[in-house]
Formats: sequence, C-alpha cells, structure tokens
Amino acid sequence: MAPRKAGERDMLESFYSVIALVFILVACVELCDAATVVDVYRLIQYDISGVPFGSRLAALNHHAGSLQFAPGADLSRTVVIIPVRELNMSFVKEYIVQRQPLGGLLFLLPQMFNFDNRDGMGIYHQNHGKELLRNVMVELEQLLIHANIPYPVYFAFEDSDIDAVLADINKNDAIGQPATATTGGFKLVVSAPEPKKLALPTITNIQGWLPGLKSDGDASQLPTIAIVASYDTFGAAPALSVGSDSNGSGIVALLEIARLFSLLYSNPKTRGRYNLLFGLTSGGPYNYNGTQKWLRSLDQRLRESIDYAICLNSIGSWDNELWIHVSKPPENAYIKQIFEGFSNVAEELGFKVGLKHKKINISNPRVAWEHEQFSRLRVTAATLSELFTAPELMERTGGFVDSRHFVNETAIIRSIKLVAESLARHVYGHQGKNIQIFSDKSSLAVNPSYIQLWLDLLSRTPRVAPFLSKNDPLVMALKKELEDHTAEVNVQHELLDGMFTFYDLTKARLNIYQVASVTFDLLLLLVLGSYLIVLFSFLVITTRGLDELFSLFRRPPSRKVKTA
Amino acid sequence: MTVFHFFNCAILTFGPHAVYYSATPLSEYDTLGTSVKAALVYLGTALVKLVCLATFLKVSENDSFDPYQELLKALIGFIDVAGLYFALTQLTHRNISQNHKFQAVGLGWAFADSVLHRLAPLWVGARGLEFTWDYVLQGIEANANLVLSISLAALGSLIWLRKNKPRTLIPIIYACAGIVATMPSITSYLRRGLGWHLPKVVGFELFTSLVMAFISCQLFAACQRPSS
Repeated sequence: MAPRKAGERDMLESFYSVIALVFILVACVELCDAATVVDVYRLIQYDISGVPFGSRLAALNHHAGSLQFAPGADLSRTVVIIPVRELNMSFVKEYIVQRQPLGGLLFLLPQMFNFDNRDGMGIYHQNHGKELLRNVMVELEQLLIHANIPYPVYFAFEDSDIDAVLADINKNDAIGQPATATTGGFKLVVSAPEPKKLALPTITNIQGWLPGLKSDGDASQLPTIAIVASYDTFGAAPALSVGSDSNGSGIVALLEIARLFSLLYSNPKTRGRYNLLFGLTSGGPYNYNGTQKWLRSLDQRLRESIDYAICLNSIGSWDNELWIHVSKPPENAYIKQIFEGFSNVAEELGFKVGLKHKKINISNPRVAWEHEQFSRLRVTAATLSELFTAPELMERTGGFVDSRHFVNETAIIRSIKLVAESLARHVYGHQGKNIQIFSDKSSLAVNPSYIQLWLDLLSRTPRVAPFLSKNDPLVMALKKELEDHTAEVNVQHELLDGMFTFYDLTKARLNIYQVASVTFDLLLLLVLGSYLIVLFSFLVITTRGLDELFSLFRRPPSRKVKTA
Repeated sequence: MTVFHFFNCAILTFGPHAVYYSATPLSEYDTLGTSVKAALVYLGTALVKLVCLATFLKVSENDSFDPYQELLKALIGFIDVAGLYFALTQLTHRNISQNHKFQAVGLGWAFADSVLHRLAPLWVGARGLEFTWDYVLQGIEANANLVLSISLAALGSLIWLRKNKPRTLIPIIYACAGIVATMPSITSYLRRGLGWHLPKVVGFELFTSLVMAFISCQLFAACQRPSS
C-alpha cells in the first residue's frame, strides 16, 4: 500500500513539474489585445545647434485623464487628452512653458484636418468658426515647436472610438475619480523604442532646363529667367505636415507654368530668346538652405546669365492682393521693369499687386524669403506671395493647420496667369501691349484639373525634408513631371545644414486599454475565497455530516490524545 | 488583465473541482485514479468528436442558427454519452461504491472539460491589460458544467450500473439524462438562435444545472431506497 502511494506521488510530482514547464514556455507568448487602437502622430523632436526642442520621449504607458481634473492634482503619471476644439490655451501654456510634470499629452484634431479623410476633399471652405479654430491651432503649433517638452506629445484625429473613451474619462473625472492604479479607468500605451537621431538628412533639389532659341549669329549665352519654389514643409506633426498653401500652391504653379512654356517652346517658331530654369528646392523652412546650396552648385556663367528669378511662396489663399517682395531698392531699374510688367498684367486680370522692400542683413543668418538667397549672390530676384510680412523661422511652413480646405484653386489659377503672362511678355518683348497669350479658350489655357490633381496629391503627402529619402516617391514624381515639360532635368542631393538635427519616429499606434483597479481584483479574490470556503463547508456537511466539519478544526488535539 | 486577474479566474474555474475532491469522501477513499482515467477517456472522446465534426460539418459563413447543423452537432454530442458509458462501465475500478464511482467519474470528466476548453483562452486572454467580464463568466460556466457532469454521471450510473430500478422512475431517468446530454445544443441555440448574451446564457446554465442536480439527487435517493 505505502510503496504504491509513494510511486503515485512521484508520478504526480513529475506531472506537476511538466505542467509548470509548459506554463513557463507559454508565458513567453505576449499578446496585445486592446479594445481600441488608434493611429497617432508624434510631435517633432529636433535640435538647433544642440538646443533641444519638441517632445523628447516616444514611449507611453500611463493612465488617461481629461481637462476636468481637480486643480492641484498630480498629473505626472497621467496622459491628458485634449480635444483641440475645447483647447484651454492657459492650461497648455502653464504645463508646457512652466515645465510642470505631466505623463503625456494627446491632442485630438478635428477630422477636417485629416488628409486621409475623403469627405469634403477639394472643397474650399470659408467659415468663420473654422477660422477661429485655425488661429488657435496655429498658436498651439508655434507653442509646441518652440518648447522643450520632456514627455511624449501625440496628435490623433477625432473618431467615434476615441470620443467614447474621452466621454467616459470626462465622466469619471467629473465625479472626482481620476484614473490611477487603484481606481481603474483607461490606460494609454504606445510601445515605441527610444527615438534616434536621423543620421544623414538629405535635401534634394530638382531643376529643369528649358533652352531658348539660339540663332546662328549668337555666340554668347542667352539670358535666363528662373522660376523657383521650395517644396518641403515643417510642422508640429511631421507626419501631418502637408502644407497645401505653403508651399503646395507654389509647386503646382511652377509645374503648370513649366507645362505652358514647354508647349510654347516645343515649336521653334514660338521659342523665346530666353532660357527658362525651373527649380524645385528643398530645405525651405531652414533658412532656404537648399536654395543656397543649389545656387552655389550652378555654373557661374549660368548664374551670371540669370536676368531675374521669380520665387513662388504661398499663392493659394488670397482674394485680391498679391505682394512682390524684393531686397533691391524699388528705384532700381530692373525692379521697376519687373514690377511694372506684373502690375500691368494684374490690372488686366482684375486685382492688385504691391511691392515690398526688405533689406538684407548679411550678418544675420535668418533668410526670410527665398529671393534673398539669390540676392546674396547678386542675382536679381523677387518673391511673389500673398503674405505681407516675412514669416519668422518655422512660421507658415506648412504645418498641420495648412490643409486642403483652406486653399482656393481660383487664386492659384490667377497667380499662374499673372506670372505666365508677365514672363511671356518679357520673353517675347511685348511689354505694355495688351495681348493675352494664355487666354482661357486657347490651347494654352491654364488647366484647372491639372492644378486640382497636383494640389490634391500634394495635400496628401507630408513633405518634411529630413524624412524624405533620396528616392522618395514624391521626389521621383516631381522629377518625372519636370522631365515631361523640360529638356534637361538635374537632381542634386545635399546634406542638410549641420545646425539642425532631427529624430525619427513620427507615427505610432496607440493602444487604449480599459483596466480594472487593484481593489477590484482584491475584492474579487475575497469573494472567490469565501465562495470556495462556503462550497467546501456545504459539501462536507452534505456528504459527511456536520460533525465532520467541526472535527476538521478539532483534529490536532485529537491526535495528541491518540499518541498519549 | 494582469496575472492577478488570471489567478482569480483560474481559481474560479478550477478551484471547485479541487474543493469537491477534498470535501467529499472521495479523498478518503483515494479515488484520484478513477478521476484521472475519466479525464483521459474525455480526452479520447473529444478527439473522436473533433474528427467527426471536421468530416461531417460544413463551415458556415454567418453565426446564425442552422437547424440541420445543430442536429448534426447534437448527434455527435452523443459520442460524449458513449464515452461516459465507457468510463463508467468498462474501466476497471478498485472496489469503490457506486455512490463514489459516479462522483469520481463526473469530477474527472468536468475537470478535463474545463482544462481543454477554458485554460487556453484564460491564459492567453486574462493576462492582457484589457479588462472584460468574459473570463469570470467563463469560470461560472465551468462551475455549472461541473454540476451538470456529475448529474449526468449519476444518471448514467443509474441507467447502466443499477439493475433493479423502480419501473415508474425509468422514463424520468432517461428523460433527465437526455436533457442533460443535449445541454450544449440548447445553449448554442440560445446564443445563436435567440441571440442571448453571455451573462444570460451563463445564468440559464447555472439555473438548469442546479435544477438537474436536485432532480438527479432525488432520483438517486429514490433508487437507492429499495436496496437499502
């Protein structure tokens, strides 16, 4: 009897050890099944000359809270979810500027700014309520870009899932029960590695060359006119910086002008005696770094042959006034000629063009307009823009506020007509004459669907330069488009100026878990323990009788009696 | 939701089996071997059922209640009964009274059922961060299943092991056994055909298991009276 029992006990022990081993092996399986998973976009992280800016962390693992927390509550382990519609700027300023401890921030943007959202795409909205929201968002973006934030900051779009979660959190916070480890609630988890520096951020400049008609007697170089636009953007959320107006409008205008002039230049009879140089430059937000490098790389003779350059910057949302910004004084003969040409055409088209002069300060590294890079190399240049004042560093560079809804195609079409007509009159020598080369019913009419197509594409493509690789699909597409319209296309890759350092990780997935508190678990354990005890007592009473139950507690004394 | 919750649900699902074993005289008579053998028979039955289901059943696209498929599943469910018959009659048990035999077999059967059907989902699901009531309900279901298995084993032992039964009670015994044996089909009909949610279904299972246990207890006692 006894050896058999021992054998059975050995078998049981080995059985249990096998079970334990299986459990340990299975413990390696980690599954992540959240109720809600949301795409989130991280705030940009960058350094300027070693000074850190933006959000310095990416991984997130805290409880969620809302704006309705009790004043003075400790939020250092809470992620505050803020819908931008109900943004309280003073709260944000307090926590960011005064560097109060916070677990994380999650901003909810209206679906209107979501370029993936197909509803209402391509429609120009002019709505006062949206203007107010837009101003708030611009202010928020500027605040976030220039702050050094030691916790993760993410942006997400409002949708039904996250709205339901936020409503729940609001309810809990209003009762006064913020989510912590002991009271349950929602937990936001983003599992992301430590953000790393981008090793070699490249900026790519694309140039297209349309040669003019060289007659046999001409030995010297033909004069050149350059049309330039910078195509990259910068914003608080690099994965959302599509920059429809700054500078999607400029790119579209440049492509359309290239297309129109390629039609004219394809026939030797209508080819002008000017070369045309089209430049799509990168590095715009960083003091037009790319333009500078591109100009330096140009052949000196070519650079000297440039008569003047027109830079396009933000021409998509104006009503009846454009500005030409110059750095040479307005009394200069060339500037006068250019401005007269433009204002004549503008008058015919029914709007005004103003001239604005801004002196360059050589010692100041800040380059506010693209034409200043040309002027520093003594090339006459001007920028055509709807903006009256020069933007500051990293302002109006196509952040998440700059969405498709705020761009007016008609404005772009009028700008294209302005530039194209003025250019054509200069090239063909028809200054001052009332001739319309690109009239609406001719074969050289501005094509609205071409503009719409490119504008829609650019409004869906984030274009922050350090995150665009050398062979990025957009860069290849722009190159191919210029190849279609011009004779010779060159692509130049440069490294971004060492002053700026960027960090990766712009998109992530946020898991929202509904967690129960530790007290709930303890309560459940208590309930289950008492249930099992009750079950045990019930079974003992029904099968062995009440006396057995009491004898279980009386066993030790009875044993003593036995041995004695 | 964390290992704590997993632990809670585990003791809810498997605790009653251990408690039943230790509380009743089963532990005194050392009937663990019988329970283990019954668990192995359940394993074999489950494999046979799996093969039959895979061979005869069509995979339906939607989750609706298809009467023919459900009838087929019920027929295959009777393999369960056959397995139980095998466990009760064919296995060579040591000399234990009939009273304890059916309890041991029912216990082993229910334990194997819980482990096979509920351990893996519990391990994979209850350890995550997200909290749901599903695993607690699953544990309650395991309890109801324990009661049902023991009552089925009791009725089975009455049908096959007891030769002198009062004539009037025989149809009642068979009827009760039939109801208990087709419980899986009934619950799946409730879930899919009537669209009941999990808490309601579990409540219904619990209620019927208690009722059935009471009835089978009475029947067992009634059948035992002539011999005593």
